[in-house]
Amino acid sequence: MKNSFDEKILDEAKDWLAVKRNVILATVIQTWGSSPRPIGSKMIINDKGDFSGSVTGGCVETAVVRESLNLLKENKNFKKIEFKVSNESAWEFGLACGGEVSIFLEQIN
Amino acid sequence: MKKKLLNKIIENKEKKIEFAIITNLKNGESCIFEKNTPLDKNFEKYKDKIFSQFNKKNNGIIEGTEIFVETYIRPIKIIIVGAVHIAQYLVDFAKNLNFEILIIDPRGYFASKKRFPKVKIINKWPKEAFNEITTDQNTALIALTHDPKIDDPALQHAIKNNFFYIGALGSKKTHSNRCDRLKKNGFTNEQIIKIYGPIGIKLGGRSAPEIALSIMAQLVSVVYKK
Repeated sequence: MKNSFDEKILDEAKDWLAVKRNVILATVIQTWGSSPRPIGSKMIINDKGDFSGSVTGGCVETAVVRESLNLLKENKNFKKIEFKVSNESAWEFGLACGGEVSIFLEQIN
Repeated sequence: MKKKLLNKIIENKEKKIEFAIITNLKNGESCIFEKNTPLDKNFEKYKDKIFSQFNKKNNGIIEGTEIFVETYIRPIKIIIVGAVHIAQYLVDFAKNLNFEILIIDPRGYFASKKRFPKVKIINKWPKEAFNEITTDQNTALIALTHDPKIDDPALQHAIKNNFFYIGALGSKKTHSNRCDRLKKNGFTNEQIIKIYGPIGIKLGGRSAPEIALSIMAQLVSVVYKK
């Protein structure tokens, strides 16, 4: 049986847009190995650097915020980013559990 | 994603419609897919694959493409019989877990809007109340009144309609009496054993929020067993 557990991240994105923030939506689109969160997991980031939700268990969120702010700065609409444990910066924002995750960033506008 | 699309997604979620969000990862375009609505023409060539992914309720990138599909299924419905103290905490837990909640209680002073804001309440006896709502194998029943006049008809309805979870509050003795009454009404042992009674997993706590937590934990564990 499947349930529709939903973390209301999109509802929160709507609230942020209502107070005129620029909002980036990050969604887990692919996982390999023991990546901690399933496909479809979401996180939102705004131009102030606030974030809500999660795409891993706290392993790569800092980097996702940084990438999102860059996307806004460059005024691009979307970007795909990947995190692997073999990444050189793994000690800082790789997945300690050895998984890999692919995340799609998109501006809501 | 366009703001308009975001609003439509939230609207669909509130309406409890089954749908999917389709995103082209190559150009960032996205749209909503619903079963009986024509598909956005930009995604036309992936139609069959999107349809099959949607039917399987799978999330992910369609193999060999750059199309990402995320399906939203209808929330599981939980019917609570008895607008009692525990029910107030159950409503909070259920909201966070995205279950759809409905409360039945013929006693108006219990089932008031003041005690349960934003929850659908049916101020009727279970028999009449069930005529107003659709239930199926994805429905759960939590019976909390331990008054046979109110709980029993609801339990009987749930057994007959194969609810995936049926729980009833009350001590071992109360539950054993309940089982006897069901037997007298022609229910088999096999049917009766499906009722979780006394309801909830053993946590040890006896306060209303703790009992609500133990019920919710049991219900979620059953979701994943089936």
